[in-house]
Amino acid sequence: MITLKNLSLEHGDFYLSAVSLQVRSGEIYFLLNRQSLSNDFLFNVLSGFRAPAGGEIFYDDCRQVQAERLLPAAFIDKIVDVTDFETEARIGDWIDFLCRGGDLRRENVLQTLMVLNFNEINLRKKVRDLTPEIFRQVYLALCLAPDVPNVVINDFSKGTEKSLEMKFNKLLWQKKAAGRAILYLSNDIIYAAEIADRVGFIKNGHLLFEADAVDIKDMDIKDLYYKFLN
Amino acid sequence: MLAFLRFERQRLFHEKKNLIFLIFIVLFSLYFVWSGLNEYRQFQVEKKIFIKFEKEKISQFTNYVQYGTFGFRLLYETSPLNLFFVNSGVLQDVESNIDTFETIKVESSFKGKKLFIKRGYFKDFAGIPFIFGSLFMLYLGNLALVSPAHIRFMMGRLPLKKYYALTTLARLFWLNLFFILFGLSLFLLVQAGGVRFSKSESNMFMLYLLFMVVLLDFFYLLGQLTAVLVRFRKIFFLWLFIVWFICIFLLPEISRISVFNKSSALDSAEKVNLEKFRVLMDMEKRFRDYLKEKPTIPLDQIRQLQKKFAVNFLNNSYLQNMGRESKYLREVGKVISGHEWQSVLFPTTFYYFLSGEASGKGYYGYLDFMDYIMKLRNRFIQFYMQKRYEANDAVVESFVKGDENIFHSRSQLPNTYWIGLLAAIFYAVAFFVLAYWQLRRLVYPS
Repeated sequence: MITLKNLSLEHGDFYLSAVSLQVRSGEIYFLLNRQSLSNDFLFNVLSGFRAPAGGEIFYDDCRQVQAERLLPAAFIDKIVDVTDFETEARIGDWIDFLCRGGDLRRENVLQTLMVLNFNEINLRKKVRDLTPEIFRQVYLALCLAPDVPNVVINDFSKGTEKSLEMKFNKLLWQKKAAGRAILYLSNDIIYAAEIADRVGFIKNGHLLFEADAVDIKDMDIKDLYYKFLN
Repeated sequence: MLAFLRFERQRLFHEKKNLIFLIFIVLFSLYFVWSGLNEYRQFQVEKKIFIKFEKEKISQFTNYVQYGTFGFRLLYETSPLNLFFVNSGVLQDVESNIDTFETIKVESSFKGKKLFIKRGYFKDFAGIPFIFGSLFMLYLGNLALVSPAHIRFMMGRLPLKKYYALTTLARLFWLNLFFILFGLSLFLLVQAGGVRFSKSESNMFMLYLLFMVVLLDFFYLLGQLTAVLVRFRKIFFLWLFIVWFICIFLLPEISRISVFNKSSALDSAEKVNLEKFRVLMDMEKRFRDYLKEKPTIPLDQIRQLQKKFAVNFLNNSYLQNMGRESKYLREVGKVISGHEWQSVLFPTTFYYFLSGEASGKGYYGYLDFMDYIMKLRNRFIQFYMQKRYEANDAVVESFVKGDENIFHSRSQLPNTYWIGLLAAIFYAVAFFVLAYWQLRRLVYPS
């Protein structure tokens, strides 16, 4: 379960004023916000890289503080530039290293890669030899490998090919079925309506509107978009 | 740690461009060691010719006056370790002439083959890791942490401190291992080529290797720090080159200019020679005046008088001149000592100083050489005086009985070696800590 209590942030034009919300186990919650950069900032706060101006974040009973400790949550950021992950090692070696040094379970990684139809020939390649889509598969498999009850995602599927997006959705549903609480930061209302259980809209620093995705499907999405995300 | 060691080994040695660079360093070093070995062998051959020539030269003299005037040459022989540092010495191939003149001459010969030996530009074993190794380490330090996005990704699995420390240690472990094995292999290879090193020379080489590895670690950590300071921007390579240029060329050049400026406070060697010449001429003048006053002195008495004046000269004016020369050397020694302490302040400047001394043709090698010349000349003049006035023009006997005309310069460790090493380690640790501190600020912006 992911809990935000009176979370306040300030970063340039973007701010949040005392936002509180709760993502339950086995739920996909989409927090929609107009500006992509603001989502990046919020993701950094949620993953502990930046301190909030006020309020608290909990992953289950574990309070997130800006310190070097591992949280019971997986964080999946969007990949802007694949070369940011060019370690000069082969992908297979990178996965080996993360399984040994980062305590990831190899079977979890391989399981995810299988769901993504990953071709194992790519394990012998380096990041620079992979297409961005294939690297995203590896990244996703590694991010989802820890057995943690919470997942926070920053617009990962944005700009990905439809085939990867569909596989990614499948993975999210699997995680949801396994009882994970999933908080997804995005500005894509159509995607949210497709896979979310609940959706929250942030505008002018406030969580203005929360609704079940089922209800959103019945609403005029265009109208919601113009109202909250434009 | 094992996972890090394994992963970093793959990162370093499975990358084609890294391998090409390493092979390039190995091949170039091999070439220069081979060239140093050839020079060493060539020198040994020339040394034999030199000894033979000097022996023959003595037999050509008909009296001791000729011997005293022409004297004999003194050859500067470095330790075999010099083959690793042929271009790092302060002195070039030098020799001196021991005679009864007042001026001490130290000169380089450019005759014949020696004309074609072009020195400088780091063309030796010590120069290759210094120039290319430092650039390579700076580059690898830059690549170590990959990018902020990668660091953040890794931090989902490991705390930053652990990731940073273990990555650095693992990479340095492999790189140090490579450079140590590389240095030792070349050392063994040279021994297999027939060169024998004494125990102290072997120790000297090991300590040189230790400093070289610390220096390369310094560059690695500097590369890592620079990457973090410029926030992993892609324009980084320009910064990398600027930092490298400053460390390798600019700072040592500033140090060299500084020692040159300090040395300008010394009296010129010509001035010292002129003072000594005046003292000698004074004695000559007194002798001439004495003969003018007593023009009827018989020839055999003149010879006795000459001896008397000469002994008097040796006991007074000659000692004065020796004192002048020693004082001058002490002043030069002070400048050298100041330069040594100044070099300690930065690892690259100290590396220059260290490799100069390790070559046996460094500043202290020069002082030892001058000291040897003065002692040898002293002994030669005593020998000359005795033979000139007491041997009654018998066959000229050589002053050189053994290998006195060969100066065996030793490779020596500067007295400040451990301080220099500690200073380099201090810099490296400071870069390591600063990079971590800056990285934390980058990953956890306020």
